[in-house]
Amino acid sequence: MVQFFYFHLMPWPHLPDDFDRRHASSWITLSNRHYDPQRGHILYNEYLDEMERAEALGYDGLGVNEHHQNAYGTMPSPNLMAAALIRRTQRAKIAILGNAIPLRDHPLRVAEEVAMLDVMSGGRIISGFVRGIGCEYLSLGVNPTHSRERFYEAHELIVRAWTENGPFSFEGEHYRVRYANIWPRPLQQPHPPIWLPSQGSTETIRWGAQRRYPFISVFTSFAQTKRLIDEYKAAAEAAGYTAQPEQIGFALPTYVAETDARAREEAKPHMLWLFHRGLKIPPHFLLPPGYITEDSLRKFLAAGMRPPSDMSFEDLEKGGYVLIGSPQTVVDRLKEIQQQLGFGLFIGGGRTGDMPRDKALKNMELFAREVMPHFR
Amino acid sequence: MAHRSEFLAISGVRTHLLRGGRGTPLLVLHPEFAANRWFPYHDNLAAHCQVFAPDHPGFGQSDRPEWLEGVDDLVFHYVDLLDTLGLDQVSIVGTSLGGWIAAELAVAHPERIRRLVLVGAAGIKVDGIERFDVFLHPVEETLRHLFHDASRAAQLLPTELGPEVIVRGYREATTLARLSWNPYLYNPKLRRRLQRITAPTLVVWGEQDSFLPPAYGEAYAQLIPRATLRTIPQCGHLVPYEQTELFTQHVVPFLTASDTTDQ
Repeated sequence: MVQFFYFHLMPWPHLPDDFDRRHASSWITLSNRHYDPQRGHILYNEYLDEMERAEALGYDGLGVNEHHQNAYGTMPSPNLMAAALIRRTQRAKIAILGNAIPLRDHPLRVAEEVAMLDVMSGGRIISGFVRGIGCEYLSLGVNPTHSRERFYEAHELIVRAWTENGPFSFEGEHYRVRYANIWPRPLQQPHPPIWLPSQGSTETIRWGAQRRYPFISVFTSFAQTKRLIDEYKAAAEAAGYTAQPEQIGFALPTYVAETDARAREEAKPHMLWLFHRGLKIPPHFLLPPGYITEDSLRKFLAAGMRPPSDMSFEDLEKGGYVLIGSPQTVVDRLKEIQQQLGFGLFIGGGRTGDMPRDKALKNMELFAREVMPHFR
Repeated sequence: MAHRSEFLAISGVRTHLLRGGRGTPLLVLHPEFAANRWFPYHDNLAAHCQVFAPDHPGFGQSDRPEWLEGVDDLVFHYVDLLDTLGLDQVSIVGTSLGGWIAAELAVAHPERIRRLVLVGAAGIKVDGIERFDVFLHPVEETLRHLFHDASRAAQLLPTELGPEVIVRGYREATTLARLSWNPYLYNPKLRRRLQRITAPTLVVWGEQDSFLPPAYGEAYAQLIPRATLRTIPQCGHLVPYEQTELFTQHVVPFLTASDTTDQ
């Protein structure tokens, strides 16, 4: 039994014509004069319509996430999108994947908003926590050398705010509050499920496994996903239990069409948009100083990983960065992956990059009708 | 000129120090890009002074203690270093980050500074004057930008870019980020405190400094009571590295002047 989530980045597809030649990145320095609010109005509504449609098609959940000041994903507040979805859906889980808690100066605001959403939705919220990507530390002025300690500290404050009777005082290195006492409290007990979407440092994986937080591998190669998930399973064993499928997930851009050839042809430009444009991020944007440890950087360099913007469509397919094909191909491949990874959570998407609406709708319908039933 | 390398334990922080020359003691504080090396300008200064050139904690071969979070921590570190070396009073030459540390040290302990030379010093902000963001650019690009004659940047660029060189650069950038990510390369309180400096002060600035433009030098010269500004032509941010001879011509006479000859 796999739970399927329809995930949206809500990208800004209308990049300037000279983007590939003239712009170093779709993050930080790409001027927001390229954002047109009139077109944005149409897009936001289309994107939300798709997510509502996903519930009707039988997806178990809807995934939103947080990114700042870029064209890759125009959702600086995932909680706003969750709120918009709650009142237009009845059944689906709303997965926030996640709130970038170290970027916030006041984590209690996250505790409050997620509690509000949980109460409003009758307990349908999944609360992912992320660090935010390196670029966002440049964009928002938060010191990347504090990222990890702020993540842990904000997490602790939020969980305590959800679970302890207030008021209580909290005095950390980065966050201090003398009367934490949030109203409302969350509906789910002891608190909404916490998920950990990540590209996975060893330290984060171990930390998550110890707390039994589901780990979601995001947008990496199959080999890397397998390595991370194996690491998570080993960390769970070390913590004295066996990781269950519902603790293991991965996010993979997916496209289904009538035949393999047609799927490839239809998906190619939009998958390339995601990896070559949306993820066009030079290393010094992605890894500002202190965002990762010197040991992690050493490992990263030793692994000789290529930036996604260097990869061809064939590389992306072969590397397992994307999953594209006829329903049968996708079912077969997912079953194969499931055997190897033992995942119980699949975070797919219908509208990657600059994909037009009709392709996105066809993709999600085929996926829901002809792929998902094989995993029920 | 002969110089030697040694390690000191400064309040528990293993600190790498280069030293050479004889005469009055001079603390030379490196910019954020050039730790752990003895350059020709060190020789020129060591011909007249006893030069102490430490690596800041988290740079070169010095350890980075967990508690290092700001330039105020470095002020205590360098007071401890002076005490360890038995130096009651020193002159200081500080460039860029080193200049910021020197200015903070002179504000906190004016009595311990004989003469102060600030070269392209960070530490203050001048409203309306844009600064180059070293965190937004790869270090090679930054270094070329910091020199008026970009070819002079070669002396600070690694000869080969292996993983360990990249990791060392990342470590130093991480230290710099801990010290000065936000506020970016300045202490909002320093400007008001500069009036506390009592030492004769020479402010040296590259005329083509596009990192901290010359308006920064002018501001320092106005805010420090006994300061003189020298602007170096055909020169970017890192004056001792780009115009070594001109730098020496201005700085050595200032450092070696007898205290009674000052204005």
